[in-house]
Amino acid sequence: MIRFQARFVLALVALALSPSLPAFGAAPLIDDEEAAAEEEEKEPKDRYLVVLGADIHTGNGEVLRDGRLLAKNGKIVAIGYDDFEVPGLDYDREVPADERGYELEILDASNVPNGRVYPGMVAFSSSGLLGGGGDYRDSIDMFNRNMLLGLAAGITTTGQTSSTAKLKRYVPGNFSRDYDFDGVVIGGKTLSTVSWGTAASKRSAREKLAGAAAYLRTYRQWQVDVKKDKELKEPSKSGVDSTMLAVLRGEIFARFSADYQDDLSGIARVAMEFGFRPVITGCREGWVVADELGRAGAMAVLTPRTRRSKDEQLVAEGGSSIENAAILHSHGVQVAIIPGSRGIDLGGIAGRDIMHLPIEVGFAIRGGLPDDAGLASVTTVPARLLGVGHRVGTLEVGKDCDLIVTDGDLLHYQTFVQYTVVDGDLVYDKQDELYFAHIRPRDDSLLAPLVPFDPAEVPIEEEGDDEGEDSEEGDDEDE
Amino acid sequence: MTLSAPVGEGIAIRCAKVLTMNAEDAVHAPGMVWIEDGALTHVGELREVPEGWTLREEDEMWAMPGMVDLHTHIHSGGFGDTNDMVHSVNPELRAHPALRPANRLVKLACASGVTCLLGIPGSGTNMSGFGVLYKTKTSGSFEEVVWKRVGGLKVAQDSNPARRAGTEGWGNCRASMGWTLEDVAGKALGSRREGRRDPALESLEKVMHRELPVLIHTAGSEGVVNTARMWSRKYDTQCVISHGSFDGWKAASAIAEWGVPVNHGPRTMDYFSSRNGRMNGTGAEYDAAGVPLFSLNTDSSVIPQEEFFLQGAMTARLGGDPYRMLRALTIHPAESFGLAERVGSLEVGKDADVVLYDGDPLDTRTRVMRVWIDGDLQFDREESQAFF
Amino acid sequence: MKNRTTQLLLFAGLMALQPNAQAGDLFAVQVERAETISHGTIEHAVILIEGDKIVMIGEDLAIDSGIPVIDKDPGWVATPALVNPYSRMGLSSRGPSGLNPQRKVSGELYTGAISKDVLEAGVGTVGLYPAGTGIPGRAVAVRTWGSGDARILRDDVYMKAMMRSDSTSKKTWRKGFEEADEHKEKETKNREKWEKDREKLEKDAKDDDKEKADKAKEELKKPYTPLVPKPAAAAFASLREGELTALIGISKSSDYVHFLDALGEEDVQWSLHVPISRESDLFHVKEQEALKDRHVIMTPAFSYHPGTLRRRSMAAEFFSAGAKVTFVPTSDSTGAHESWLRDVGQLVRDGLDSQAALRAMTLNGAEVLRVDEHVGSLDEGKHANILFFDGDPFAATTNLEAVLMEGDFITGEVDR
Repeated sequence: MIRFQARFVLALVALALSPSLPAFGAAPLIDDEEAAAEEEEKEPKDRYLVVLGADIHTGNGEVLRDGRLLAKNGKIVAIGYDDFEVPGLDYDREVPADERGYELEILDASNVPNGRVYPGMVAFSSSGLLGGGGDYRDSIDMFNRNMLLGLAAGITTTGQTSSTAKLKRYVPGNFSRDYDFDGVVIGGKTLSTVSWGTAASKRSAREKLAGAAAYLRTYRQWQVDVKKDKELKEPSKSGVDSTMLAVLRGEIFARFSADYQDDLSGIARVAMEFGFRPVITGCREGWVVADELGRAGAMAVLTPRTRRSKDEQLVAEGGSSIENAAILHSHGVQVAIIPGSRGIDLGGIAGRDIMHLPIEVGFAIRGGLPDDAGLASVTTVPARLLGVGHRVGTLEVGKDCDLIVTDGDLLHYQTFVQYTVVDGDLVYDKQDELYFAHIRPRDDSLLAPLVPFDPAEVPIEEEGDDEGEDSEEGDDEDE
Repeated sequence: MTLSAPVGEGIAIRCAKVLTMNAEDAVHAPGMVWIEDGALTHVGELREVPEGWTLREEDEMWAMPGMVDLHTHIHSGGFGDTNDMVHSVNPELRAHPALRPANRLVKLACASGVTCLLGIPGSGTNMSGFGVLYKTKTSGSFEEVVWKRVGGLKVAQDSNPARRAGTEGWGNCRASMGWTLEDVAGKALGSRREGRRDPALESLEKVMHRELPVLIHTAGSEGVVNTARMWSRKYDTQCVISHGSFDGWKAASAIAEWGVPVNHGPRTMDYFSSRNGRMNGTGAEYDAAGVPLFSLNTDSSVIPQEEFFLQGAMTARLGGDPYRMLRALTIHPAESFGLAERVGSLEVGKDADVVLYDGDPLDTRTRVMRVWIDGDLQFDREESQAFF
Repeated sequence: MKNRTTQLLLFAGLMALQPNAQAGDLFAVQVERAETISHGTIEHAVILIEGDKIVMIGEDLAIDSGIPVIDKDPGWVATPALVNPYSRMGLSSRGPSGLNPQRKVSGELYTGAISKDVLEAGVGTVGLYPAGTGIPGRAVAVRTWGSGDARILRDDVYMKAMMRSDSTSKKTWRKGFEEADEHKEKETKNREKWEKDREKLEKDAKDDDKEKADKAKEELKKPYTPLVPKPAAAAFASLREGELTALIGISKSSDYVHFLDALGEEDVQWSLHVPISRESDLFHVKEQEALKDRHVIMTPAFSYHPGTLRRRSMAAEFFSAGAKVTFVPTSDSTGAHESWLRDVGQLVRDGLDSQAALRAMTLNGAEVLRVDEHVGSLDEGKHANILFFDGDPFAATTNLEAVLMEGDFITGEVDR
């Protein structure tokens, strides 16, 4: 990250002078000869990324005020307040960049007012962000505009029809480094759609489940019996539905697309009966039967702004409710949130597409969903549903270094993503791309006003405006 | 609970913040709003409440005037019944017969803090008729909800009517759309001048003499300038440019000079037409260019009426000033359409259209807790099913 | 600078060596300036032409009396005739999909001819590429005149491969190498078997049984017959050996990155064909190291930075990044060939180096077609394919005064 060097020399010196680090000018920790030898072998150098100067929201409830995060080769290796003592890592930069045995990037977010670090968001599904189709390893368009806009929107991972992939942009200005093709697809198919729309399809699903359950019982009995009689043959799987078998064995989620309460109750019942956790997309009337869904361990993928009035023929409650996500959550249903439009919509009607995940989450919070569940609905819950919860969704040691730096509360309508990092590489800087650079430009950018704008110095008419208070309002909520 | 206070008795609402949207941009924190006989009798500092009055202690709440949307189509309860596609100009048509008071969509609008709507015909023809001005009361008859049967004219001068303007099959390019409109405008002017009584031109005559406002659907920079030139330079009308989408904002400084208000939406962003590589916050650009009385719309149901506030939030996101956007949702539309005597701000003497929020009205997370229209409590989150 | 006397002597020597040269076969053109492309600009150049070849070119060469001289100094500027290395002129646009590297465009030549207007526009050499997707075959370099096989300058000039950001493209490309590997393995085994058989035959040849020995001796005389490879295997083997080059057609930057992934460690010669669309994203790849000195074929068109009206000249950007920019007309139409110089002229006025621009229309194309020892520059021994302009070839007011192809004036009223 060449362009950071000049700007952050001071920051680095300050870092080096801080007490917990070896004194400035002390013997370099890195073995230069070893580094040179490594260079000769053309081994890829270790890549370090340090993120500092912002509050780190780890996504699992913790907030580290002005914390620091260190990543090595794309994985988080430390989060905390200390200056990380990594053997060989030369903070003071006594050694020129090209003689170092490693690459060091420092993302100093102190130039972002009210800067916050969050885990990169996970879109349960999206369209067009990767620019390809089918096998994303071999079809991804790493220069794609929509991918860049996805990163600008804070999304770093997305579910696709049968896999989960990262928004792996070509690291800007770094064409000499090999593109990480193998890092694109990080998960396979974790959801199998079960048709639940008609009486026939429900019957069929139930029959298949019953068949699979019967097989499992026989199989388990055989596992016991075969110890006594080694000649005993393994029961035949013929006629057993392999998908349902995988569902019952917990290898794959059964995904239902359902909105009406009767359908949802039916899913809850069948899930309880056969003992699996259903994933329900849509789930519009889930709030009516939330207790049943909660007992069945259901997980829901929903759009809080879905609007449908209840069926006037029914006496029971029904239709959409802004409180849907909140009620489901309070009954133990894990909720993932997705906007109505899964693609990037540049038609001009703002706030409704995949670029506005936090806006959509805001509507769920309006309906009573707690803030942390709101963040989880676009990070940990979709990550879990996509089978990549061990790699993405929170900022934890050992997980992928996929993060965003925002200029405030992620869920506030004026907040922008300033930086996006995927696998430890800075792949988006708001001020480096045309799209949003002109909107409230950072002071360090060329687009910043020549005279720095200071809201405190603007004369306020008598009773004042409430604009300043708006943003404070946003801040207070996470305190 | 009683929906309305008995005559002679009032309601005093004490809240954390009162955003008046008046000319001085006064914010009272804490503040108080008095409702008496459907009107506001005090807006400002805390006062001792007269005996017999109801005091509502809403100490966590923000009070704001009900929002006013000038470009909506939900009066018929759906999206139909709004385009009469026979003739290319229809100065004789009125939208009010299509009004269904307190329909499902109107109730949702109320629950989101929108209290006053201009329900207009569609943009299928060049001049599609007159809109109906009504309040979003959650119950009530036609007479109880309608403020003005003939609220203002709807003209469509670019894009949509170019597709097909009436079965006459003409008016499908800018030249003929321009002539179609000038032709009928000239007839209306002549009718008044010569003392002819033509019922079909009666309302249009009023538009041509600033007695009724006109809302003009137009888009793109050329469209915006064409429209402003015709309706504010050639004719002296009380005109408001509606939409002004795509790269229309590039003409903002020109029409700001001419003093033509803009009612912007449902599109508030442009990438493709402006060709500067930016996600242009078009509303923010209009407002920054000094267009008078910049306001927003939903073109509901293009954007659901209950998400009117989000038009302000998204415009603020894309570079606008959040407080200015609150004005763009309340007093600006009211003033630009000659409605500010009664709605658009919390001021003594105006209609008691008051909305209580539990935070910043532009924030998606904020909830509308209570809505009074003409002094009657029309929505209470704690009482009603949470629509929104 | 050569001594004039020496040159005169040289010329006499040449005459002596070629006693049969008839007066009609030999003539000279004197121009104000010659752009040789291969070795710079020659002021007051004399070009001596014999038959279809350039036999000498230099500054102020003295010409033996009796040899007709066309003297256009001052006034004319000579350049090599233009070379369009990527065209389907006169051919059907239909083609196969998948892996077909054995297909030859030269087999399609009977289907159509190239309009005379193209020749008169100064284009002397055209590379006809195979139509289709995937790897549709091999291109042929042809003259823009004549008919049938007589037009062919060289066959199998490049193998075209379309590379898109999808697994099919990448698999198709890799499959070629896999087939080559398979063949190599089979061939090795076959050879081993043959050698083993030979050992046995040699033993048999010494056998007491005369009949058996004779038969073995007879067998031993037979040479080894290599296996006939599958067509794709043969093509990719010659690609590896450098006998064949590849022209990689991409449409956007990601295609290029996927191509590099598919290429892996294979060491083959390749050029790039990139279409210049209105909002091309190809500027991403221009600084890529592998593009240095690499031929990149493109149309002389501007594009805009995506989403904006900021004009970008991909040609100038690739040129300054070290690529060998090679131009082709904006389409296969006659009109596009006629406006080709004007189109490139736009880029020159925008800042593209004019020598680079001329080279991009002549020698670079000839190199792509591997006919650069015959055409593409003004050099001794090369085909006398020469254009004569009445000024700077890229100036809007300049006329193409005469077109000489293999020694014959195609256009231009030339008084010898």
